[in-house]
Amino acid sequence: MRLTVNGGEREVESAPLTPLLHVLREELGITSPKAGCQQGGCGACTVLVGGVAQRACLLPVAALDGADITTLEGLGSPEALSPVQASFHENYAAQCGFCTSGMVLAAHAYLEGGGTPDRPSIQHALAGHVCRCTGYVKIIDAVAAAAGGEASSNQRWLPRTGEESPVEIPGAPA
Amino acid sequence: MAGATLALDQATEVLQPGSEDEAIAAFGDGSGITVLAGGTIVVPEISYGYRSPERVLMLTRAGLAGISRDGSRTTIGATTTVAELVDLPAPLGPCAANVADVEIRSVGTVGGNLCAGEGQGAPRGDLQGALLALGASVRSAGEGGTTDEPLDEFMANRRERLILSVSFDEPAAGAFAALDRPHTHDYTALAVSGVRAQDGTIRLAATGAGTWGVRLPSAEAKSADPEAAGLAALDDVELHDDALASAWYRAKVLPVLIRRVLAELEEGA
Amino acid sequence: MKAVGARLPRYDGVAHVTGRTTFVDDVRIPGTLWTKALRSPAHHADIKGLDVSKAAGMKGVRAVITWEDVPLLEYGHLSALGIPADEPLLAKDDVRYKGQPIALVAADDEETAQAAVEAIQLDLEEKPALFDVRKAFDSDAPKIHQWGNWYPHFEGEMDRRQIRKGSIGEAFEQADAIVQGVYRPAAIEHVPLETQVCQVVPEADGRLTIYSCTQALYFSMGVVAAHLQVPLNRLKFVGGTVGGGFGGKVDTATETMCSLLALKSGKPVKWRWTREEEFLCSSTRAPWHMEIADAVTKDGWILGRKMLTLHDSGAYGRFSPYGLTKHSFHHTGAYTIPHLEFDGYCVFTNRVPTTAMRGFGVTSVSFAVETHMSRIAKELGLDPFEIRLKNANRIGDTSPNGVVYTDPSTVPTILAVADELGHELPADYRTMSSELRTGELLPEHLVGQLGTPEAH
Repeated sequence: MRLTVNGGEREVESAPLTPLLHVLREELGITSPKAGCQQGGCGACTVLVGGVAQRACLLPVAALDGADITTLEGLGSPEALSPVQASFHENYAAQCGFCTSGMVLAAHAYLEGGGTPDRPSIQHALAGHVCRCTGYVKIIDAVAAAAGGEASSNQRWLPRTGEESPVEIPGAPA
Repeated sequence: MAGATLALDQATEVLQPGSEDEAIAAFGDGSGITVLAGGTIVVPEISYGYRSPERVLMLTRAGLAGISRDGSRTTIGATTTVAELVDLPAPLGPCAANVADVEIRSVGTVGGNLCAGEGQGAPRGDLQGALLALGASVRSAGEGGTTDEPLDEFMANRRERLILSVSFDEPAAGAFAALDRPHTHDYTALAVSGVRAQDGTIRLAATGAGTWGVRLPSAEAKSADPEAAGLAALDDVELHDDALASAWYRAKVLPVLIRRVLAELEEGA
Repeated sequence: MKAVGARLPRYDGVAHVTGRTTFVDDVRIPGTLWTKALRSPAHHADIKGLDVSKAAGMKGVRAVITWEDVPLLEYGHLSALGIPADEPLLAKDDVRYKGQPIALVAADDEETAQAAVEAIQLDLEEKPALFDVRKAFDSDAPKIHQWGNWYPHFEGEMDRRQIRKGSIGEAFEQADAIVQGVYRPAAIEHVPLETQVCQVVPEADGRLTIYSCTQALYFSMGVVAAHLQVPLNRLKFVGGTVGGGFGGKVDTATETMCSLLALKSGKPVKWRWTREEEFLCSSTRAPWHMEIADAVTKDGWILGRKMLTLHDSGAYGRFSPYGLTKHSFHHTGAYTIPHLEFDGYCVFTNRVPTTAMRGFGVTSVSFAVETHMSRIAKELGLDPFEIRLKNANRIGDTSPNGVVYTDPSTVPTILAVADELGHELPADYRTMSSELRTGELLPEHLVGQLGTPEAH
């Protein structure tokens, strides 16, 4: 069986009923999609199949021969973040980070499909994604901002002291 | 208790027919074969070890998807995804839009939804209500060959059948009302679909009011009086407690949903 | 201080949004075995027989462990706080909650591990179970714990957390009304997106590298070392990347068992809980039963509080006595009440042992206390803000256990809330402050409870 993953062709040997999530994580070593529930209920395993957001834990790999899969690694890298990735980072939309892969991919698909900064529309698009840390507000802010809107909500509580951070954070983008 | 056991057994036979005829032949009389379409129900059951199929009939390539119209009759292929139904008129469109979330709707199928009974303590199969209200008929294959029968008979018979398509006549008006909760994997606790057919007949159906979707004949008989219809509906259903709501709560809400649906059908008059 | 008040990027933000963050389940060590557990199907039962031989002999199974493999079977995680051990790592004589781990299997793949678990022969004799904390005190209640049905090892071998202040009898005599309420918040699941997971690697030098999702790295290290009876330097814990914890990943639920499997098999071992296990078997925030009776005057002074708390500890003690202790200090909330009679019990039930979650022990009592304040206001026909401001902690007031408040923030907080909500207050309330009580804010019943920082 052959899959295209993040632009590269990969041979897959897993049994036909193996969920794509297991194929990605265990056979191909791509660990960004997470095993949150393995029932399609949490969104953490979400990947793009032909650009469409789907649950990797529900897709038997035999149904995907020849499919074009995108995972979070395929959107951008630390040196070159995609607009949605950058917006998530700038708007503090990730705390523990476990739901982030699914959220970013779903947001990416939403925006590619013409998604607007309208908050109810964003909520509807991300309705299948559980986050236990952030309370969702900053995630919606990040998507709204990436859609060209205002990252509004309670931004007034975040102090702004100019562009440069006065303290060096290891690993932060320059 | 079962663990999350993956079906990594290469010995499981997976059939992937490339046409309707091949699918019918592979299905045979349905014995010893598990049908897999969208996978939203079957794959988690396999992952958790609740189901270990020996033979799986994967329908992704059988060409059973698609919506077509012939005059006023709409036909929907069995593997049409719920997402593709979202823009259809009420009740089916809003019913489909209300199912789960974007990702689930992109793979879940009409056929799978019609075959879904109650899950682990929560109702499934929302589309049953809308299609029952639409007076849909089901084309299916299995023992005795391919047949066409009304959906309510199909569901009552509960034989081993491979659903090929469903079809219905365009109604004069349709309506849908649901009690549901926002957010992930959104099982609808209770929903009512209603249709006013071209000949004026009112059909009502509910999901979440029992293991399967049901028609509400007692409510239909009193449809001219929404208040009475709502209360009469309680005679048609067997409400129970589950993870989403209690029978008591459903009994309170069912008449409300019926009144809403009937009001909406009135408006379209 | 350059960081305070500045807008700083998260140091792990870029890794999160690019999928580079390595959670425990993302660690890849060749040859890692998969783990499955045999868990109790019964709420309460004696173990009459346990035979793992068939499982251990199956092809692909590399190790099976039971209580016999544990060097120190019972270790009190909070023994440093005086809470003795009561819970076996793996069940030995009996099982006391549905889902309690009895045996674990490490095998080449998940399917083999699960098949091996199903091949273990378990013989249980079910016993009556206790689920309702209120029934624990009945003479005919089933006995479900070797210490009795509630924790008896508070200081001085007391069987409750007890706070006495002033004279509750006097307060009840002087009251114009007694306002009562019962508050029963239910258990809450943490539901972290990342389920419990652990990976242990036996190193050539005899040490164990433990990839853990614990929230408390050194604490968990101590727990594992104690159960294994090894010095701390035998363990190397790798952690700090937690996919959500909220208090539920302090229990060290997987690390010790994985370590034993790694030692027995000689191979790396991983145990990742399913979402089903997470819901059914992981510890929760405890359910509580709280009864409050307040002696109040008709103009809204709270003279005294009598309170009973039953904390549902589940089948074992774990951290519950500690949680109950914190709860007890806060039973007057942000308000000053001079006469107190508080009794709190840590009650055992045949449920999953409960644990910490966001404000361990205190969220329950805060909920109860605040609701009760509103109830008092309603029953007396008084404004809920005014009644809070009147009784609010002030400088010089003393806490239930006699600590003198030097900088309470109750009054300014309530005033800010009133302001934000546009709630009108009379001038004498609008101008209240945290300053030492005088005049009308110091009626006779509050005089005796005032303290000075030096006096504490």
